[in-house]
Amino acid sequence: MDYRTVLTTCPYCGSGCGMYLPVLNGKLGEPIPAKTHPLSQGRLCIKGWSAHEHVASHDRLTKPLVKTGSGFKETTWDEALDLVVTRLLELRDRHGPDSLAFLVSAKCTNEENYLQQKLARAVFGTNNVDHCARL
Amino acid sequence: MKVSKEVRDIAEEILRQGQVGGVLGLSSEHGHVGPHLFSSTDDLGTLVLEPRYMLAKVCRMILADFPGERLGVVARGCDERALIEMAKLGQVDLSRLDLIGVACSEAQARECACPHPYPRRIDVGEPVQGVAFADTECAQQASEQDLVARQAFWTHAFSRCIKCYGCRNVCPVCICAECSLEDASWVARGKISPEISFHLIRAFHVADKCVGCGACDAACPVDIPLTRLYAQMREKMKEMFGYEIGLDVTNKSPLTTTLEEAPLHGL
Amino acid sequence: MAGLATAFGSGAMTNSIPEIEDAECILVTGSNTTENHPMIGSRILRAKEKGKKLIVVEPRRIHLAQFADIHARPRLGTDLAWINGLINIIFAEGWEDAEYIAARTEGVERLREKVAEYPPERVEAITGIDREMLHEMARLYATADRAAIVYAMGITQHTGGTDNVLALANLAMVTGNVGKRSAGVNPLRGQNNVQGACDMGGLPNVLTGYQSVTDPAVRKKFEQAWGLRSGLPAKPGLTVVEMANAAAEGAIKGMYVMAENPILSDPDANHTREALENLEFLVVQDIFLTETAQLADVVLPGSSFVERDGTVTSTDRSVQRMRKVIDPPGEARADWEIICEIARRCGGQGFRYASPGDVFAEMARLTPIYGGMSYERLENEWLRWPCRSADDPGTEFMHKDRFSRGKGVFTPVDYREPAEEPDEAYPFMLTTGRIMFHYHTGAQTRRSPSLEREVSENYVELNPQDAHGLGVHPGELIAVASRRGSIQVKAALTPTVPKGVVFIPFHFAESAANALTNRALDPVSKIPEFKVCAVSVARLVTL
Ligand code: SF4
Ligand code: SF4
Ligand code: SF4
Repeated sequence: MDYRTVLTTCPYCGSGCGMYLPVLNGKLGEPIPAKTHPLSQGRLCIKGWSAHEHVASHDRLTKPLVKTGSGFKETTWDEALDLVVTRLLELRDRHGPDSLAFLVSAKCTNEENYLQQKLARAVFGTNNVDHCARL
Repeated sequence: MKVSKEVRDIAEEILRQGQVGGVLGLSSEHGHVGPHLFSSTDDLGTLVLEPRYMLAKVCRMILADFPGERLGVVARGCDERALIEMAKLGQVDLSRLDLIGVACSEAQARECACPHPYPRRIDVGEPVQGVAFADTECAQQASEQDLVARQAFWTHAFSRCIKCYGCRNVCPVCICAECSLEDASWVARGKISPEISFHLIRAFHVADKCVGCGACDAACPVDIPLTRLYAQMREKMKEMFGYEIGLDVTNKSPLTTTLEEAPLHGL
Repeated sequence: MAGLATAFGSGAMTNSIPEIEDAECILVTGSNTTENHPMIGSRILRAKEKGKKLIVVEPRRIHLAQFADIHARPRLGTDLAWINGLINIIFAEGWEDAEYIAARTEGVERLREKVAEYPPERVEAITGIDREMLHEMARLYATADRAAIVYAMGITQHTGGTDNVLALANLAMVTGNVGKRSAGVNPLRGQNNVQGACDMGGLPNVLTGYQSVTDPAVRKKFEQAWGLRSGLPAKPGLTVVEMANAAAEGAIKGMYVMAENPILSDPDANHTREALENLEFLVVQDIFLTETAQLADVVLPGSSFVERDGTVTSTDRSVQRMRKVIDPPGEARADWEIICEIARRCGGQGFRYASPGDVFAEMARLTPIYGGMSYERLENEWLRWPCRSADDPGTEFMHKDRFSRGKGVFTPVDYREPAEEPDEAYPFMLTTGRIMFHYHTGAQTRRSPSLEREVSENYVELNPQDAHGLGVHPGELIAVASRRGSIQVKAALTPTVPKGVVFIPFHFAESAANALTNRALDPVSKIPEFKVCAVSVARLVTL
């Protein structure tokens, strides 16, 4: 028998509701609102209750893509990252660090946002870092 | 706590005997409590009994996904009544469940206005008297307020609803694959607050099944005292048909039997 | 949130979410709280059930409005006038908290002079709020023992947005309503980690914890910690709307977008699209092929919220764990791993981490307001920043005995008309926003059957009287156009919107509200004017 629950935070609004996500036999299930959570106290809105649904969407990207003349084609991580790194460094060297811009994300974790701005500032040397928070 | 210690001991024993794939209960880790499947005796140290989560739906899912196996479950009175109602609806096979029956304390029974604060077989705790309907806030409201006042109360309460569907999602007896609440011909979609049909449909749908577990109240973000409404329906079922919910799996709801099979007394 | 930072020294919610239900009076403005922050909306409803007072100032008749003691419906874009008007009444009636003003603030005299220019008659003329109602609002708010202001994008998304926030801060300080439990000024941040993205230095002018890039000591600290040989850039960078402008002009040539969809979220979608198309190289990391990803040269498959570990910071500064529940699908990877790999391949030093916990530890060392936090503590304690040391229990409500900047500062501000007013060609005011059933650009929620079932297509809210005048029927597909673009969208007739105003949710790519909105920016916060622009409304066929 394989059933487990993992405590995590709703991915949607900034209210920060707490939920257990159940995994039954490897499949992600409907959230269980966490009763001991001081912000949400065992309640969720409809978005929280449906937070697991988009995860299993058929539209999920599962492979890196590169654009070719005839649209996107799947590629390997190695090739995709190589292209990203080569092109970004090339632009920086040719046009200076401020020819690049980086968007962090209000949907990503603190750690990811920290790393993204560190990448922009420490590796590429630009403060062109922002996200859609104002929006 | 003494009670949870006793429950742990019994859970340990069932797990040792190896008849069940796991024992479903609540686990407390880092101050947060949630549903947990105890599959070995090692992690039983975190088993607790509070705060209550309705586990009947989880039982149903686990039994369905592991058809060959038996499951242990820590069950209070309401959990057992929920499982019995689910069994009547063909949702769980009670013979595959090992219930660890826990009786609720008097304070708990009062808090839930629970008519049967203990399961049929009590493994842990002492049974206390259930709360009679006449002693509940619900009965008080019915006797003290006239129809107009009660209607105003409920209209105001329902106007707070944010249509989270939480009341339905947590409810152990709301198990239809196609839910009328989502049917645009009954309830307009995308509107907050939903029309009153949302609440009336749910009330009627649980009228002969609501076990009074209070999970819906607890899940309601806007504090609508839903069980107060359902308790009145439950009481009517008792008055009109002598039918009590969740006590006997062979006793089918009078609303689902046909006139030929069982003439409805009291109508 | 530039305005609050000026007034108090910090731009975050001053109260915590649970405190809100115990405020004696709650003033909600520019926030459709029930729909956009449902679990904060529910606290406000609970306060109301406890007998507290509720004032809603919002042109639309939002869900909360029906429970309000007062619902004022100002003309769109006139917030500064009523806020100044309230302060003026408060001084005139002697309802200010003189002791608090003397002890904790500076600059009150200039404020007093400024708000005197906003007598009730003038405010009524500008905003349309009846002067008696205004007086009653002032009384309820100012005489409450603890009053909390709750606001969101409806206040900030204007060319005068920063000034609106400064005005709200003035209102709160005049009445001594900052730095107490259940009394404060509370901007609600839209998405699950907007607060964190800002806290982490995801802004062009600050490193983590709002440490300025222009401060040499700050840069030195980071240069040393990151082991850099060359210096960090000292000049503040571009904001997202400025980036789009720079890309359109060719000054920005390459962009790395992580899990954002500016085509739908930014104003003037056509312009944003042209700008991104003009880039020489665009890399987008996301879980879906969003409208923005479709323009990319390389798309990297990231992970969803259940597929990686980390932390997020809720709008009330609570720092919480996100936990990995399942593996990402196919070859998709955790976003933090992707960034580190790119950095390493570029020769970046210091991008080897065993886990997100290590990243957090490095960040916390460099960030005073997170300095006392660690994954270990977050497992066992509830922590809100500021939390400066290992024995600091974190901060439930801010500015308790002193403001982050020392004394709170009053900044007199003046009402200005919105950048675009209705005229003959574009006679309606458009306002945009979110609804309960979808989230941001819809990339996730529109792929969620339960949510898509509730609302699956865009609509425009139109007042029935306006609809009658135009001959528009309920559910009819109509054209809404601005100087920047035009969309076709279904008409929903509802008195929720006042006459002359239309509302369009912005979650829908098929008829994107932001094809219409205005790129005009607030001069300080650089927030575009989403909340007001002039549009025309017309039937597609005239019979
Ligand atoms: S459950 Fe609803 S209110 Fe809570 S964080 Fe998620 S979206 Fe926000
Ligand atoms: S309606 Fe409420 S109280 Fe009744 S069984 Fe369902 S969740 Fe429990
Ligand atoms: S739980 Fe409450 S708010 Fe949610 S749908 Fe049910 S009654 Fe409405």
